[in-house]
Amino acid sequence: MSFWIRNRGWATPALLLAPGALLFGVVIIASTVQSLWISLHQWDGMGPKVWVGFDNYRELFADRQFYTALRNNVIWLATFLLAPPLGLAIALLVNQSIKGMRLAKSLFFVPLVLSPAMVGVIYTWFYDPTYGLLALIFRAFGMEAPAILSNEHLVTLGVVIAALWPQITFCMVLFLAGLNNLDEEIIGAGRVDGAKGWPMLRHVVLPQLSQVAFLALAVSVIGALRSFDVVSVMTQGGPFGSSSVLAYLMYEQSIFSYRFGYGAAIATILFLIMIVFIVWYLWRMLRAEALEA
Amino acid sequence: MYPRPLAPDARMQRGVYMTIVAVILVLWLLPLIAVIATSFRSVEDILAGNYWGWPKSFAIGENYIDVFTETAMWRYILNSLIIALPTVLGVLVLSTFTGFVLSKFRFPGATLIFALFVGGNFLPHQIMMIPVRDLMVRVELYNTYFALIVFHVAFQTGFATLFMRNFIAALPGELFEAARSEGASQFQVLWHVVIPLVRPALAALAILTFTFVWNDYFWSIVLTQSDAVKPVTAGLANLKGEWMSAWNLIAAGTIIVAIPPVVMFFLMQKHFIAGLTLGAVKG
Amino acid sequence: MNRSISEIAGSLPKSVELQAVAKNYGTHSVLKGIDLAIDRGEFVVMVGPSGCGKSTLLKSIAGLATLTSGRILINGRDVTHQEPGDRGIAMVFQSYALYPHMTVAENMGFGLRMVKRPRAEIDVAVERAARILRITDQLDKLPRQLSGGQRQRVAIGRAITRSPEVFLFDEPLSNLDASLRTQMRVELSGLHAELGSTMIYVTHDQVEAMTMASRIVILNSGLIEQVGAPLELYANPRNLFVAGFLGAPRMNFFQATVDAVAADTVILQVVGAEKTISFPAVDTGSLSVGETLTVGIRPEHLAPLDAPMPGRVDLPATVRLVEHLGRETILYADASPLTTIGSESGTGTFTVQVNAVVSYYHGAPIRIGFAPSSAYLFARDGRTLSPRRTAGSGGSLT
Repeated sequence: MSFWIRNRGWATPALLLAPGALLFGVVIIASTVQSLWISLHQWDGMGPKVWVGFDNYRELFADRQFYTALRNNVIWLATFLLAPPLGLAIALLVNQSIKGMRLAKSLFFVPLVLSPAMVGVIYTWFYDPTYGLLALIFRAFGMEAPAILSNEHLVTLGVVIAALWPQITFCMVLFLAGLNNLDEEIIGAGRVDGAKGWPMLRHVVLPQLSQVAFLALAVSVIGALRSFDVVSVMTQGGPFGSSSVLAYLMYEQSIFSYRFGYGAAIATILFLIMIVFIVWYLWRMLRAEALEA
Repeated sequence: MYPRPLAPDARMQRGVYMTIVAVILVLWLLPLIAVIATSFRSVEDILAGNYWGWPKSFAIGENYIDVFTETAMWRYILNSLIIALPTVLGVLVLSTFTGFVLSKFRFPGATLIFALFVGGNFLPHQIMMIPVRDLMVRVELYNTYFALIVFHVAFQTGFATLFMRNFIAALPGELFEAARSEGASQFQVLWHVVIPLVRPALAALAILTFTFVWNDYFWSIVLTQSDAVKPVTAGLANLKGEWMSAWNLIAAGTIIVAIPPVVMFFLMQKHFIAGLTLGAVKG
Repeated sequence: MNRSISEIAGSLPKSVELQAVAKNYGTHSVLKGIDLAIDRGEFVVMVGPSGCGKSTLLKSIAGLATLTSGRILINGRDVTHQEPGDRGIAMVFQSYALYPHMTVAENMGFGLRMVKRPRAEIDVAVERAARILRITDQLDKLPRQLSGGQRQRVAIGRAITRSPEVFLFDEPLSNLDASLRTQMRVELSGLHAELGSTMIYVTHDQVEAMTMASRIVILNSGLIEQVGAPLELYANPRNLFVAGFLGAPRMNFFQATVDAVAADTVILQVVGAEKTISFPAVDTGSLSVGETLTVGIRPEHLAPLDAPMPGRVDLPATVRLVEHLGRETILYADASPLTTIGSESGTGTFTVQVNAVVSYYHGAPIRIGFAPSSAYLFARDGRTLSPRRTAGSGGSLT
């Protein structure tokens, strides 16, 4: 009997699973583990790796730049928490079948389809103190616009708002899908019970959107921690590193300073922070599936 | 329907509503509108500081053509296509296989593998940056199309597997049982039952994957160096550096880069939205 | 000031009144002009085939669907433009529509919460409803922890706590299994007796209609075909549609040609019968010789005859199928060349119901017998030409 017939129970699935799993395992998973390993060494990317144990981390925790980046990540996180409610608000606004609404919906989605790098370029333009639209608006009111991207105190906020633009859109898409899957009868029951306006939203509609809201929250949190593109394009972490985030700091240290070991340590810290959320998300998702089954 | 639909005959109400929506829409897209407007201006207007008045001369044609002739934009666009299209193909094939296996077979470790696929997709790119770059250098794929193709196929397979697995799991089990009872092998089940039925999912996935890969910036700058292989996103950032004051050209370049995903989006909206939301909502 | 009781009763506002109610969805007309008056305490069942508009009508009364034209009054108040919550109604939905994230107690108290009743009052109302429906142990559970029957009770309980003027039921039993359905039917009837409130109940199941209603409203394509007490509708259907709708197994219909017309009889030529048959009839003036009429006869008014009986019609037929139901037997007999129209089995055979256990082999020859006075005549436009008979009387042969 051929190998295939004897083992056909598991041979085919294994064969089908292998290429994808292998590729993913090697490129993604193995790399992650490797980075953790590299963080314990000093390495310039070309020469030999020198074992330094936790020295990189010790240096990191004493580095002011690290805390600036960490603080900025927190600002990102706090601001991105606005994305789900704002996304919900726009979803509620456009969930009407009036003529032209389909076009309006499509247009609202556009920021999501743009590359984050594009968003960075667009907002750099927007914030330009001489020629930008923001400056123009300020001048219309007779005021001078602050040079947001050169201002140490405002720059992070400026960058975050740019990144918030597509993030709100993503949440809107999720909530629109959720709104279109509401149970009509439960809403009817709510109306018969006399629920209107805010009580209706809070007690009848939002509980039905909890699954979607959870996903929107998770995606926003992870997006806030992972952000790189917009920072890189708009400010390169400046001025003087005041807008840097952990993801950018890692890149900077590795590529520009050739300190791959140190960079890997930063990446590891970022990874550890995110693994908390990833595990929480996976746990919730798998539990929800188990409940349904 | 929630919020409560406005009555079909309340014309006044509906008109006012749409007007409000239109105003909000304009405010929402203001930055984008600004960039589009700038791309129409001539250099003289820009230098003269005439940003918002009626342009003295329209330079739509020149600007957009100049972007191609004076910069390497056409090369960047070609590169992006060369990278994105094979990636989409690879992702669709691999994730259909993995999604099929993970949705239909129970074996020890299945949940773990699935969790890795999902979790891996949420990882920060930075944690993989150094080893992946290093890997590409060592197998001499660094600064080639293959570097990006291999990476993107690997990475996107994570999300794509989740997507296909959920979709295939939602197919009625009786179909599989019927096929098996007629003696079909797993391969035949995959080919004759699964693939025809998951076509809409594949369409959604193709669009999403294309968009993600086209819009990727980080790996473009990490894994490529020379203009010969650089994709548009990195290329545009270059542009911004080189042509600091020629905002009209940069604006035109930005619009050009944004067009393919936007056009694809408008043509395939249904699929795109379905792709993002599959699994987010029950049923 | 000597007003009689009936005068006083007559001057009280109707519990629910529908005046020329019409509803269109775009160009499609779902309700075409409904007029109905329901008294306080009635249990009105609205039945009809799918698409007849009964659910739409119920939703319109509830306020979940807006009318294209017409008025709805509840206890004399015009509620046509009022929100569902303000109409004094409570509704039990087909799939119960319980709030999944709230406990049973919270579900039942939600309506009172919305009108800002004090906490103590809500608790008392919830307790009372839970007691009536015997779900006091389930008050802290979530809907997903309950069985179908329990969820149904919670849905009813939610309606009871609000002490509405009118209860609306939208096919509440269709999601339950058969035995539970019978049990709940009995319970709902008991509930109505206990609470004495007006109840409007929508179903497609004519057994529920017959057993629970004080009055049945039969709807067809957006219009009311007939309104009346169950037995009245059963015995005196106004037209072919109503005759065929009520009664299971369904009435047998076949066509016959008019041979002669008299003041109160019609003589018909029936295919397969040896002689012409005389049927009692009313409104015969509009009929002409040679015209085709439809004759209807209920399965329980047919019997297999061993020998021809005087005064009875008998049709020769062959037994095709015998169904033994324990207390009764259903025979499907082929009386070719005479065929039935729109029979349940779809084969043009007659359905005969016998209240005994009888046996026939497949292909056995029998004679189907019936008394012409128990048959119904229908004109070409469907309206009944038979004289009125007392509700509850049959015309059986035994």
